[in-house]
Amino acid sequence: MAVDYTQEAPVIEGNYSFRDISDIISKPMETIPDKKYFIALGISLSMFGVGILCWILTFVYGVGKWGNNVPVGWGFDITNFVFWIGIGHAGTLISAILFLFRQRWRTGIARFAEAMTIFAVINAALFPLFHVGRPWLGYWLFPYPNNYKLWVNFTSPLLWDVFAVSTYFIVSLIFWYIGLIPDFASLRERTKNKIKKVIYSIFSLGWRFSHRHWHNYEMIYLILAGFATPLVLSVHTIVSFDFAVSIIPGWHTTIFPPYFVAGAVFSGFAMVQNVLIFIRKIFNMEDIITIDTLEKMNKIIIVTGTMVGYAYGMEFFIAWYSGNPPEQFAFLNRAFGDYAWAYWIMVTCNVVFPQLFWIRKIRRNIIIMFIIGVIVNIGMWFERFVIVVTSLSRDFLPSSWDYFKPTLVDIGILLGSFGFFFTLIILFTKTLPVVSIAEVKAVLKQAQPSHHGEAQNG
Amino acid sequence: MSNTDYTLEYSKKPLPGKVFTIGIILTVIGIALLAIAYSVDYVRASFNIILLFSFVASISLCSIFLIALEYLAGAVWSVPFRRITEFLASLVLILPILALPVLLDLHTPFHWTHLEAIESDPILAGKRPYLNETFFVVRFIVIFILMSLFYWIFTSRSQKQDLSKDQKFTTQNIKFSAIFMLFFAVSMTIIALDWLMSLEPHWYSTIFGVYYFSGSVLAALAVVTLFSVILNEAGYLPKGITEDHYYSLGALMFAFSNFWAYIAFSQFMLIWYANLPEETFWYIQRGEGSWLYVSIGLIFVRFIIPYALLVSQTSKKNPRRLKFVSIWVLAAHFYDLYWLIAPNYSKDNAIFGWIELGVIILATGLIIVVFNLAAKNRNLIPIGDPKLKRAMEFRL
Repeated sequence: MAVDYTQEAPVIEGNYSFRDISDIISKPMETIPDKKYFIALGISLSMFGVGILCWILTFVYGVGKWGNNVPVGWGFDITNFVFWIGIGHAGTLISAILFLFRQRWRTGIARFAEAMTIFAVINAALFPLFHVGRPWLGYWLFPYPNNYKLWVNFTSPLLWDVFAVSTYFIVSLIFWYIGLIPDFASLRERTKNKIKKVIYSIFSLGWRFSHRHWHNYEMIYLILAGFATPLVLSVHTIVSFDFAVSIIPGWHTTIFPPYFVAGAVFSGFAMVQNVLIFIRKIFNMEDIITIDTLEKMNKIIIVTGTMVGYAYGMEFFIAWYSGNPPEQFAFLNRAFGDYAWAYWIMVTCNVVFPQLFWIRKIRRNIIIMFIIGVIVNIGMWFERFVIVVTSLSRDFLPSSWDYFKPTLVDIGILLGSFGFFFTLIILFTKTLPVVSIAEVKAVLKQAQPSHHGEAQNG
Repeated sequence: MSNTDYTLEYSKKPLPGKVFTIGIILTVIGIALLAIAYSVDYVRASFNIILLFSFVASISLCSIFLIALEYLAGAVWSVPFRRITEFLASLVLILPILALPVLLDLHTPFHWTHLEAIESDPILAGKRPYLNETFFVVRFIVIFILMSLFYWIFTSRSQKQDLSKDQKFTTQNIKFSAIFMLFFAVSMTIIALDWLMSLEPHWYSTIFGVYYFSGSVLAALAVVTLFSVILNEAGYLPKGITEDHYYSLGALMFAFSNFWAYIAFSQFMLIWYANLPEETFWYIQRGEGSWLYVSIGLIFVRFIIPYALLVSQTSKKNPRRLKFVSIWVLAAHFYDLYWLIAPNYSKDNAIFGWIELGVIILATGLIIVVFNLAAKNRNLIPIGDPKLKRAMEFRL
């Protein structure tokens, strides 16, 4: 292949006018969903239903319904929590960090990735809430003046999680909403339905596309991006602290913070890539969410996947190098102990398979990249499982060693969390623009200051 | 702004001989100081050679990293500065000379070479398969050969492109960059572990390789920024390099300052919180006597002050500010390496004298001399690079 480096590759393929862009992106919201949509919604709602049933069982009978035992006090619940928080990370990375780096290819995928962040964080937050055993007392996690004269345990990283995740959720939501305001205004102008018009009008906050509005908008967007960037890093850093501040062998290792962040971005990108493959096909957005964009995402997957591989290698090496017998045992036990199967699933899925993305053809092949994306997420789920369960099941007292086996309720909740996530995504695709109308218009050829062509309609 | 009118006006001007002379003088003074140091305080001198080596290794290897990063990321704004980065990368070729005094006598700085100590120390004995003299030297040689090879691959293609303007060289370099990154990650880690972490062979930290990397990239960026601004102001670079180009250099320095702080905090926080004696002693040692002030100072010198100096958008575009911050950041990297190395030879209190000063003088001299030698007979910007026109037109 020959690439011409003298020209900037266009972000959007094809020749679209501003009007065309509005039409394409608004179409899913202006048409009545077809049968396939309801089938997809039905499937994800059924999965969600199973999850609700299992949540109710947990609520009524307590966490004894789970496979957690002594010494494995953290099982599927914390694994799922870390997994879903990780999924959320790609959203802020794409929308905030790539924005600060002025990567214009993020335009087509940022909105969806941000929405995914929000859904994933809601999903994740449920797990620690139920894990505390009495979720109806969940508000005790917040420090507020109370008549028990008790403070929360400020020295616990689990509490820092509460602050980190809730701050992250609020800022992500605001960031997402700010980006939506100009699009709400576009939709308000387009719609002929009176109820929709009222709703869009309320949410567009009186946006009139004036210069002053755009000026303020760009400023607040930049500030929020700058604000969200350290926040997104801090969230998974603090999640890694849940493990790393302890002295459990296999948990306490200084590389955990950057390693968790890299892993989170890795799995999050795989998830964004997976879902976008469907969205661009179903909604005819192949020129907006282009193959080039997907290829760039795959490159990020291989970079972060290799970083994760580096961390695996480093952990293993330093465990040996430390000369610390419990540390050495923890890693040998991971690779060759009872949970060796999980460990090798993790290594193959996270380190070996993504290496296929070295080949350009594979990076640009929709089916193979989809499969690798799925594999990456399986691998990343197992990574958290390996970290949580293998270390705990072999604690310092050999007489209490035990094997963790998930119950049907555990599996049901995991299934339900996917159902919940996909239900929200499916609803999202029909209610809000999955791609930012305003931002895509800004990267069209005719929006560039250097463009000298005929003015186009729209 | 138009994308059709720009034509590159560049004719090679030789660098002023005066600067080269200053570089030579500094190098000679530096060598003399270190030679005297070897006869006066042998132990301290050999630790200072490690300081010198790790400082120059930072700049040279991370300059190659910055070259590869530009190719991989498809960055456009940095193209006019790439030649400067390439010249700095040529410091990789003198690494064996700097390492030689230490390689000839590993016994003085490295406790793990003391066989009598190992006999009574099962933990050190267990590390013997990795920490032994032969393997140490082999690792260094392999890293040196690999890194020099990549240096040659990148720069020779870049040079050929000046004449032929053939785009295929860019494509080739992009491919090599991807492969380079894997070797680079391992090499930086090994250098960090071997030359810095193993000075205290009982101590271990999985993040240490990343720690050295984060500071090293900053150092390389700082020299690139400093040289770019100076050369541009003196008119050695073509017209058209604006504050928009500067901004990106400043922004990267800002980003990596934060990255360093993040990594340094992660390492400290986790060790402090877990409070395991096999890890904490390393930090405790850096809290003894006047080391405490050096350690606290590091937070300010390496993070808080550069952060404050670079946080605003205007400061990232201001050439005077950038020059100052680059020198500051370079000094801070030296400070950081000193903080890593010096507690091993001066346990009770921090000492800083003419020997350490000699390292600074020698490193400065070497950077100037090698840069001048590399720049001789070469263009100061990659005139054949297909992205150059876009790069000169780059606006934020």
